[in-house]
Amino acid sequence: MEDSAELLGNDERKKPRRGNPWIKAEQALGLRASRWAMLLGAVQTVGAIIQAACAAALLAAMLHISPAGWSVALTAFGFIAAALLRAYLQMLAEREGFELGAAARRRLRGLVLSTLLALGPAGLRGKHSAELAATAVDRVEAMDGFHARWIPATAQAIIGPVLIGIAALYADWRAGLTLIIAGLFVPFAMAVAGIGASVAAKKQFLAMTRLQIRFLDRIRGISTLVLAGRANDEAAALAQAAAELRQRTMRVLRVAFLSSTALDLAAAAALVIIVLRFAPVLHGALALAPTALFLVLLTPEFFAPLRAFSAVYADRMAVEAIAEDFQALPPPPLPVPPVNIRSVAAYGVTLAFDRVTYAWGDAKPVLENLIFKVGKGEILLLTGASGAGKSTIMDLILGFLQPDSGVVSINGAPLETLVPAARTKMLGWIGQKPVIFAGTIEDNIRFGRPEASETQLADAIRHAHLTELIASLPQGLQTPLGESGFGVSGGQAQRIAIARAFLKDAPLLLLDEPTAHLDPAVERDVLESLRHLAIGRTVVLATHSTMAMDFAKTIGAKRLDLDALRYASWRSEVV
Amino acid sequence: MNPVLRIATLWARHTLWLGAAVLLALAAMAAGIALMGFSGRYLAAALFGFTLAVPLALQFTGFARVVLRYLERIIGHEAIFRALADLRVWMFRGLAASAAGGLGYRRAGDALSRLVNDVDTLDGLFLRIFVPGLSALILAPILGWVLWQEHSLALIAIAPFLIVAFYMPLRAAQEARANAGKAGLAMSGLRSTALDALHGLREVKIFEAEGRMLAAVQSREAALLAAQRELVSRSSALNAQSFLLAQAAILAAILLGFFGAPTAALVAVLVLIAAFEIVLGLPRAGVLYGQSAAAAARVVHAAEAPPPVPDPAEPAPMPSRNAVAFEHVSFSYAPDRLPVFENLSLQLPQASRTAILGPSGAGKSTIAALLLKLIAPSAGQIRLGGTDISLLPAEAVRHRIAYLGQTTHLFADTIRNNLLLGDPTADDARLWAALEAAQLADEINALPEGLNSWLGEGGATLSGGQGRRLALARTLLMDAPILLLDEPCAGLDAATEQEFFKVLNTAAEGRTMLLILHRLTGHENLDRIWRLTGGTLISAAG
Repeated sequence: MEDSAELLGNDERKKPRRGNPWIKAEQALGLRASRWAMLLGAVQTVGAIIQAACAAALLAAMLHISPAGWSVALTAFGFIAAALLRAYLQMLAEREGFELGAAARRRLRGLVLSTLLALGPAGLRGKHSAELAATAVDRVEAMDGFHARWIPATAQAIIGPVLIGIAALYADWRAGLTLIIAGLFVPFAMAVAGIGASVAAKKQFLAMTRLQIRFLDRIRGISTLVLAGRANDEAAALAQAAAELRQRTMRVLRVAFLSSTALDLAAAAALVIIVLRFAPVLHGALALAPTALFLVLLTPEFFAPLRAFSAVYADRMAVEAIAEDFQALPPPPLPVPPVNIRSVAAYGVTLAFDRVTYAWGDAKPVLENLIFKVGKGEILLLTGASGAGKSTIMDLILGFLQPDSGVVSINGAPLETLVPAARTKMLGWIGQKPVIFAGTIEDNIRFGRPEASETQLADAIRHAHLTELIASLPQGLQTPLGESGFGVSGGQAQRIAIARAFLKDAPLLLLDEPTAHLDPAVERDVLESLRHLAIGRTVVLATHSTMAMDFAKTIGAKRLDLDALRYASWRSEVV
Repeated sequence: MNPVLRIATLWARHTLWLGAAVLLALAAMAAGIALMGFSGRYLAAALFGFTLAVPLALQFTGFARVVLRYLERIIGHEAIFRALADLRVWMFRGLAASAAGGLGYRRAGDALSRLVNDVDTLDGLFLRIFVPGLSALILAPILGWVLWQEHSLALIAIAPFLIVAFYMPLRAAQEARANAGKAGLAMSGLRSTALDALHGLREVKIFEAEGRMLAAVQSREAALLAAQRELVSRSSALNAQSFLLAQAAILAAILLGFFGAPTAALVAVLVLIAAFEIVLGLPRAGVLYGQSAAAAARVVHAAEAPPPVPDPAEPAPMPSRNAVAFEHVSFSYAPDRLPVFENLSLQLPQASRTAILGPSGAGKSTIAALLLKLIAPSAGQIRLGGTDISLLPAEAVRHRIAYLGQTTHLFADTIRNNLLLGDPTADDARLWAALEAAQLADEINALPEGLNSWLGEGGATLSGGQGRRLALARTLLMDAPILLLDEPCAGLDAATEQEFFKVLNTAAEGRTMLLILHRLTGHENLDRIWRLTGGTLISAAG
């Protein structure tokens, strides 16, 4: 079922632009953080130069060119000291690289999560929570290589050859010049070829990524493929796509790998030229021997940082692929506007909508000039088909959405003029499917108010009719819940949410289809618990369920039918 | 069998390519070693006033090294691309045969993604572990010979080489394996805490738990970083030790040169330096090996799991009729867990329309899974056209059923290709007819690229309702006599839901239909309605 030309075309289209500003900013941060790592690298290089000099002197003595004696022992000692220093610094540098990556991950993860938490649910509409969690966890992890390896390696690819080049020039300017020219040839050859290591790495990386994405997609949908009886065809198509991708990629790589070959060529040529340069001289000038050996030993050290740099290029490429995910995150919310913020007495709450209009994007408004008022201790029943605006009303009260026009007010004070923390304190909410967090039952109930006393907790459990359930569990309140723990049923989850609301004890209670997913028998029971919860509070209940509507009527609710409102406005338009 | 070796055996088909890649790698390595060796010989010879015809050899080995490295890269990547594709196709086939359906109808998207991550981890095995490991193995005797030429005692220097090439990677692998469990646990802790915080964002905001959640995530992150730091601190120590061993070997070779042949000594030293350059990366490869071992184990386990419902050895002939009957069926997910239902009976006469209602978790989807042979009843029988489906091959049974479930997947592909999944032979006219039937034709027609429009991952470019209707169009294209719909309208608004059922009423004409819902909208046209509660079916109407 695949036309891989299209697959390719699709990816080409979203090819990362040159000089992505987000990556540039990350790079600047990374460079600033890696000064210590750069210093470690520079000192390591100096150690390598000293060690090469010692080894050259030792070899010269061994070849009976320079006299052997106490100086040999001293040089050997110098060799050992330099080796120990290098080993130690290498270890430090490796650990420092890890710390750089760890710090960057901490910073990015903190940023992503605090932005998402500050925005709340309304800012994230249309994004799946698993997708966002993947950005916060996996994408952040994938940034590790960039900070831990790529940035230090980039710096070292300049520092190392420069220091060694200077040492080589000092020892013998002709050989030094050979090394430097060979070193400069590497980027020059890449630039002249116009393809560069980056293109090779990019193509290779993109090819792999494409295959991986396609594979992930097919694996995720594997049951759909199996149940449609198409698993075999798809396996064949997968193999075929991989083969086509391979041929296409290899065609590019055959040319692109020439840039890595430039590095090999430069390294080999430099070595050969240096050896040949010294050979004729040596016949007559034995004093030159240590220098010759020094330069031969230095040549691999000169190219090592360049090799290390091209080895971590994949870490750089990985960032191109994930930068988009970070850039796609919504910007952090603006700070609370500096109007006269106030707090209202939380003894009983009157909620009012005054000519509130709200539209999702450019669509037709869901709510138009909506006016209603719920007095202290009153109950409002909101009804209407899905999409009629029940959840929008809830989100407006919760402050997750701001009205396009009109005012939502609590006790006469417009919502946006209230201190956010004070506003949150006044609100209780129970939705269709309460989220049960990983943790014990107690943790989950206390989520409503962690500092609640034991008595308050016990009261909440009793009011929410959870006593029996907890007594039946061997670990009682400490029973772990969540993904790997005890699976609670829909009704039990709803009771936990009710206990949370009891504990929070907020004067304004929002119930958003609290029984939508329950069995009739369980629904009756949950409604009974809600009746207790509703006493003395201002309540807005949105529901589809006839049982919940009947229940609302028995406790004297006012009703607002959004369908009827819409119908009326539609009729007035026609007339 | 060791799972890493099991993965390696998959690549047997590409022995030629992989062999060529390894040989080229070895040849390139040999050229590199020879280049250093010849340089030493030439320098030494020059020092003693001899002139050897070495320059040619020097230029030749230098050139050979460059060319061989290039070929090694090309062939190595050719080989690895082939191996990569094979690994994925094998994994896909394995999953399809074993647990596929089972993984799909439980929401296991995340588990599957993790498995795919594991496969990605294994990509490094060949180029980063096997090739350098083999190189080291072959290098050892060469090095021994070169050192022997210097002085018989110089053979001592081979010991550090062997330690660095073989013992250090082993230790690194052990450290990594010991750490993998801890790091893996910390990682899944971090993942589930982050998911909790974002999934429960509403609760978090309402209960002002932003600070608490952030702190929880950060403490999990700190645990992960601590585990990783531990491994880095150990492996960096191993790397430093390896480096020191290499320097000790080089120093020993130099000092022993005072007692042996100087020329051979210079050659030996330079060769030793080049050889260590190759094996000093092996302890790092050891870490990678330790980390991929767990991934390989998970991948092999998942791909080679036995099918949950084995096919009969001698299948009965397929029945001609398409009535379905559940007879006294019991099922539980594990022997120690409460049964989902016991002694459940249900008749779906040919061309009848039946709905099963019930709250989530009542076991409605289990009925669908049983019928699709994704699971088998612990007691009782399910009959298709009078034949017990346990006597029929799963694929043939599924061929009779067009299934649309809550987790039915839309692929990152064109709309056309997504539809063709239902019937690969369908022409455009049939595709448009199916789209028409699913009330989606106008919307697709309005897209600039029509049927060739690209769907994002999971159908991301369509709205929820459009996505469900596209899945319905695909289901309708399947020419199967039984239609099995499990919450086909999950995530649709009421108006779209009503439209959907109106469409369904005409589109399902003449097929046996089983509809699984948590509530009715009143627009379904049904013969029978059952309610599933407490593991039993109660007639609700009809």
